[in-house]
Amino acid sequence: MNGVLLSILALPVLAALALWALPSSTGDRIAALYGSVISGLVLVGSVVLWVGYLRPAGAITLEAGFVDPGDRGSVPGRLHAFAETDLTWIPALNVRFHLAVDSISLPLIMLTALLVFLCCLYSLRITPRIGRTRSLIALLLVIETGVIGTFAAADLILFFLFFEVVLIPMWLVIDIWGDHHDPAGRRRAATTFVLMTVLGSAVMLVGFLLLYRVSGTFDLELLGQIPVTGGHGTALAAAILIALGLAVKMPLWPLHIWLPDAHAKAPTVGSVLLAGVLLKLGSYGLVRVLLPVLPDATATIAPYLAGFSTVAIVAGSLACLAQTDVKRLIAYSSVGHMGFIGLGIATMSPEGVAGALFANIAHGLITGLLFFLAGAIKDRHDTSDLRVIGRALYARLPRIGALLTFACLASLGLPGLAGFWGEMLALMGAYRPADGLPRTTYLVMMVIAGLGTVLTAAYFLRLIRNLNQGDPAEHPATAFAVDLSRIELVTWAPLVVLTVVLGVCPWLLLDHWTFL
Amino acid sequence: MTMTWTDWQAIIVPLVLAIGAVAVLMVDAFWGAGSRKWRHLSVSLVSTGAILFGLGYVVTQQNQFRPGFCRTAVEGPAECSLIFEPLTAGLWAVLLIGGLGVVWLSAYRLLDRDIPVGEYHFLLLSALTGATVLAGARDLATVVIALEVVSLPSFAMVALRRDRRGSEGALKAFLVSVLSTAVMLFGISYLYGVTGTLYLQTLAARVPGLDPDLRRVAFAAALFVLVGFAFKIAAVPFHGWLPDTYAGAPVEVAAFLAVVSKSAGVAGLLVLVVYGIAPSGVDLRIALAILAALTMTVGNLAALRQREAVRLLAWSSIGQVGFLLAPLAVGDAQAVVAYLAAYVVVTLGAFGAVAVVQRHRPAGLLTDYQGMLRSEPGLAAALVFFLVVLAGLPPGLAGLFTKLAAFQSVIDADLLWLAVVMAVNVMIGLAVYLRWIAELFRAPAEAPFSVNIENSAVTVITTCTAVAVVFSLLPATLFALLS
Repeated sequence: MNGVLLSILALPVLAALALWALPSSTGDRIAALYGSVISGLVLVGSVVLWVGYLRPAGAITLEAGFVDPGDRGSVPGRLHAFAETDLTWIPALNVRFHLAVDSISLPLIMLTALLVFLCCLYSLRITPRIGRTRSLIALLLVIETGVIGTFAAADLILFFLFFEVVLIPMWLVIDIWGDHHDPAGRRRAATTFVLMTVLGSAVMLVGFLLLYRVSGTFDLELLGQIPVTGGHGTALAAAILIALGLAVKMPLWPLHIWLPDAHAKAPTVGSVLLAGVLLKLGSYGLVRVLLPVLPDATATIAPYLAGFSTVAIVAGSLACLAQTDVKRLIAYSSVGHMGFIGLGIATMSPEGVAGALFANIAHGLITGLLFFLAGAIKDRHDTSDLRVIGRALYARLPRIGALLTFACLASLGLPGLAGFWGEMLALMGAYRPADGLPRTTYLVMMVIAGLGTVLTAAYFLRLIRNLNQGDPAEHPATAFAVDLSRIELVTWAPLVVLTVVLGVCPWLLLDHWTFL
Repeated sequence: MTMTWTDWQAIIVPLVLAIGAVAVLMVDAFWGAGSRKWRHLSVSLVSTGAILFGLGYVVTQQNQFRPGFCRTAVEGPAECSLIFEPLTAGLWAVLLIGGLGVVWLSAYRLLDRDIPVGEYHFLLLSALTGATVLAGARDLATVVIALEVVSLPSFAMVALRRDRRGSEGALKAFLVSVLSTAVMLFGISYLYGVTGTLYLQTLAARVPGLDPDLRRVAFAAALFVLVGFAFKIAAVPFHGWLPDTYAGAPVEVAAFLAVVSKSAGVAGLLVLVVYGIAPSGVDLRIALAILAALTMTVGNLAALRQREAVRLLAWSSIGQVGFLLAPLAVGDAQAVVAYLAAYVVVTLGAFGAVAVVQRHRPAGLLTDYQGMLRSEPGLAAALVFFLVVLAGLPPGLAGLFTKLAAFQSVIDADLLWLAVVMAVNVMIGLAVYLRWIAELFRAPAEAPFSVNIENSAVTVITTCTAVAVVFSLLPATLFALLS
């Protein structure tokens, strides 16, 4: 299986290089088709990996990759390597080329592959006005390699490296293909994004090196087996630096300031990947690096992490209530949802972490869908300003309006849809945080976060009311208002279906996070 | 009278370079009225031969230990003035590669026609001789002399075009250099007065045994020596001369200053720090760390505001030196050599690309590069790669890993504050290079840059790219320069 992992990692970047080697006159459709085929192959590969992981062949029992029964209740997030590749790379720095996946990273890899595939498919018909689709597709593929690599890295330096791979391509995507009404704004948004993230990852690197100083290894598998104990001194400094770096990426309030602009100015496919996939790098890093490797130090900072997450939930929701731009609104809603994920991780309890992991996937699907919808609305009206778009989408674009309502309901956590389980589990985790954490504090945060869900409901319902409902006579249709096109139906259907499926059968994923 | 002995193999490389320097002058003088092209080519070939000899020597003798100009000491092992050992080999490799790159960047048609080719190569090889001696020097007198041998030809090279800007740049560099030499000699005289020796190894042994008052004098004296070096490598706050000098010099000479001259200064400082005046646990290292933090921050911040390519590279080279000083301050020679190697290769490449563009667009503004990725894809892609390596981001893994090694050595020395300053500077540095990269990626301008690039420029840039790619895919090779 390690061959499959290596090939889904190498295929997109090699394909991107090949695409750049083609003449720049290559047709947009051909480039998008090529990208769809490549990312489709990667999607197939990731599903094969998941199936292989679930049904180990031969002597390996079904328990492979699962935590030993005796380990239950221990701190989750440890890497149980599957499809492992472990090669010497830079002996002088003790860096190894070590890749492995497990039940935490594989669903995220599948999510990444799915969203990139859908973005390429979407680009078959609908591309940013600037053109240059060939380069856009190539950059999306490079981003795919970076993200999958981060999820598959089993060495801290390799993790850092793939973490950084994403930066420049995403910067280019925002800078070149972003909002064509506002060149200065998109440039500023792109630069803010890349600079804040690179500062975050440099700080995280310092944390990794401190960790190395204490433990003498960068290997995540090893570090998971022999965690660095002690909740003060160097270990604490390392944990704080790593958490800071990942919090920028996630992003956690108050380090989220790059996010609204970046999402609002990015092209549709950029927003989808940014929200659906890139934010997950931060939360994944918290689960993979912080929890299992530095358990004591994490316990020291967990209440603060939970506090900031709770503030993020409330502040994100309040900011949403004040937005007049549909893309900015969805961007801020991500801040709130990532707050729930942060809270779940900060409880360090099995429920909380499982909830955070589930919310990761659910947020990727639902927010991906929301940004696709926002992009569709923006393309049709040539603006994303709610006041200009006007109301009564139900009458003007009935299908898109209905899908928007569906996505909003899923995002606000309607039971029966995917968004519900993650938030519920995170709150459950806060009700019963891991031993050693101040329970009263967490109870208060749980209540505040609960209020946050109400606020979330409020702004999404307000969005539905302001956009969908209203008298069609007062808001005449614009010239380009074509309802759901075929390519939109095809690209969005998987997201809708998966949202429902995960909402009805959450055990499809939760069963594999057996630290529950 | 004391007996001295020498392993002649220790000094064969500087010797061959010096002979080469004289030889190119002779070839140029006796060529007569023949074809300009062939004269240029044969001079370049003589230089190349001398440098390749040095590289071959380094490759074959990498793990040898060869002392030169030694004498028996009263106490302890013999004192030597020049030693060839693995550290020297690593530094020589970097310096010679840099020199070779500059030679071919200055090939026929690339070098300005006004510049006399024989003198140019003579000065270049003389400076390289000084640089190689400096990297092997183990006593303070040799260090000073070698440093002067590197510096003096550099001023002449800056002024070779004989126009106003060149003269101004050369004069600035010259005055600063004279001042710094004076400061350094002052420091050395005190060091000699306090310890009674010029040999680094003896010096390092005697300083801890001094009585506290004298030790304070030694500290101040060593600080003077460091300040002298800080002038040469343009560490902040001794950097004022550098941008004007780079901008005034022909691009090839600017490349020489950024690559050979700067590496030589760093090499000398490394030797001093590792072997002599600042063994681990000394306050001097803190002074160096502060110098590093200042240098990288000021260099990068100033680079953010530049509109000309050469000035941007000049300021960013100050920032890079700041990063080099960080592992240097903690005495991690391996990280320094690896960083230097990556820096030399990509800086050569970047200057090569700038030279190509500047020949056709003399203004040298960043906006001249607009849309080059479309109009001149090969050159632009290479330039993007060099800049990304300088910024230290993927796909420029050579830069990323050398920065990583710098971080690691700083953290191993418990200088967390310096590591945080470096992290902030990674961000500022990225902002610097992104401005340039953004121009390259933009939609082409009305008259995008597109020319027939000269063959030798293509060769140099391609080679630099290839080496940088190898360094990126197999970073172990970088760190194997000094194992």
